[in-house]
Amino acid sequence: MATRQGWALATALLVASASVASGHQPAPAPAAGSPLAPDPSLAVIRPAPDFALSGVDGADVRLSELRGRVVLLSFIYTSCTAACPLLTQRMAVLQGRLAEAGLFPAQVNLVSVTVDPERDSPAVLARYAQAFTANPRGWRFLRSERDRLGPVLTSYDEWTRRLPGGDIDHPARLHLIDRAGQVREIYSLGLFDEKQALLDIRKLLREPR
Amino acid sequence: MSRRIVVAAVLVVLVAAGAVFAEVCLSPYVKRLAGPEKFLYISAVDADGRDNDFLAVVDVSLPSPTYGRVVHTLSLGSAGNEPHHMGWSDDRTKIWLGTLLSKRLFIIDVAADPAKPTIVKTIDDISAVTGLHGPHTYYALPGRMLLTFLSSADGNPPGGMAEFTNDGQLIRVIKNPADSPYAYDVAIKPDVNRMITSSFTPLRNYQKPLAQWDMKDGGNTLIVWDFKERKVLQTLVTDPVPLEIRWSVKPGKAYGWTNSALGDSIWFFGQGKDGKFATKKVADLGKGCLPADLRQTPDDRYLFVSCFMKSEIQAWDVGTPDRPRLHDTAVVGVSPNMMHVTGDGKRMYVTNSLLSTMDYSEKFWVRLVHIGPDGRLKVDPFFDVDFTKFPSGSARAHDMLLN
Repeated sequence: MATRQGWALATALLVASASVASGHQPAPAPAAGSPLAPDPSLAVIRPAPDFALSGVDGADVRLSELRGRVVLLSFIYTSCTAACPLLTQRMAVLQGRLAEAGLFPAQVNLVSVTVDPERDSPAVLARYAQAFTANPRGWRFLRSERDRLGPVLTSYDEWTRRLPGGDIDHPARLHLIDRAGQVREIYSLGLFDEKQALLDIRKLLREPR
Repeated sequence: MSRRIVVAAVLVVLVAAGAVFAEVCLSPYVKRLAGPEKFLYISAVDADGRDNDFLAVVDVSLPSPTYGRVVHTLSLGSAGNEPHHMGWSDDRTKIWLGTLLSKRLFIIDVAADPAKPTIVKTIDDISAVTGLHGPHTYYALPGRMLLTFLSSADGNPPGGMAEFTNDGQLIRVIKNPADSPYAYDVAIKPDVNRMITSSFTPLRNYQKPLAQWDMKDGGNTLIVWDFKERKVLQTLVTDPVPLEIRWSVKPGKAYGWTNSALGDSIWFFGQGKDGKFATKKVADLGKGCLPADLRQTPDDRYLFVSCFMKSEIQAWDVGTPDRPRLHDTAVVGVSPNMMHVTGDGKRMYVTNSLLSTMDYSEKFWVRLVHIGPDGRLKVDPFFDVDFTKFPSGSARAHDMLLN
């Protein structure tokens, strides 16, 4: 039942975003008054704290192994009914845009880390990734036991608070990491714009290695 | 369709419409309160400057037996700081509180115990860190804080802005341009990618008693920035000393208002079809008002102006945004200054200290105004927090945040 619900939820969200997702065109040059910024100023916020967590296949993935690629990192949990599915859906839309632009998975990778390892087993996480059509060649879903996960969450200012009923309150942020392993932008889910994120990523890819 | 899907679909809509129901004076990146406010935090300046400044915590939970009382004070550990404005971090776990006469900046945790905040970090010399002085507005960005500063480190223009990580590490400094060196407020409209900053006066002026101020040593400009590019696009002229920047909360709408303190006026700013912004004076508040603060209702229908020198609060109907109409007035007490409208738009807390160099009232307080659905104001006769009877004596109540 949980699996069917997860699939249905993902489908509903993807359908809801069809108007956004269907137009997978390269971002056009912004017109006068357009909210898009083709040349964003992306200061170095800080070095992205490195970590090693387990993929759904059980093998460790170390963030620093992705150096040389731009990485978009988020924190989610699969039984979340609020921000997480929307956040993951937005990343799925971005995955599509990046693939069409020829940037995914060779130059840009996505990483989603569960903040709820007790409920998000590797199998649950794998089904969640499938439900959002995540391409495992460039979108990794990671987990670990609490003792390894805790310091990672702390290093990204990603606190969690368990609410009555089992939901987990946590900041819904996305961290954009450049090819040198530095955090260059942090997005708020509520105001995340995939088109602008694509422009941000292109800006980072234009920088000399 | 399962209940879970319905919930998710509803949440999609709520997230998209979130700004409509928010405390609209806050950065749109700040997490919203899930229910009615329980605590009111107030920056408090020891009135005679001899005792430590502090953060006051007032119980504003209606069912509480200590409703309307100061239930805690957090000492800032030193005197003479002039703690002024405050701002939430994006996740609403920390308050950033800065000072206008010292160089101290405090990061205060309220997540562990909202009733008893604690200082988790003090930056003793913010000028050494940024090259700027007088942090004023604390504006949350995702995972970061954007601060405006009234002066350079030497107390003269130009002011500027600085960005920090949420734990207080400097990211970058952006100084005001030479042709618009005065700084004050900042507000961002992310959905149109525009940021506007306003202009007050620097330390060299505001540190003196009001009678000695040079009234020409202040700004009369708004700067329009490309937010994502952090680039100046335009400089707009207003009456002298435009203070608060209040964007329309309607999604996609690129207009808003500011209050000119020395022009006794409200100015409208808006983006034309060519993408350029323009300003125009849209309301005369009456000579001698000195509008110190400007707030709005969550439905964008009414603006509230505190007339610091006339001791009244004016409500302006901005149903037609560039043609405000005086709708109501309320007398809350002498020298009303900062206001804070709740997320549901039904209540507005008011304080009455502006700056220790400008205050003329001997009594300081926090009071409450109820806002009717018709935008009419009614002063609560029972909510009156006296700021003259602390163990350290009287304290100037200034900025407020709700939790």
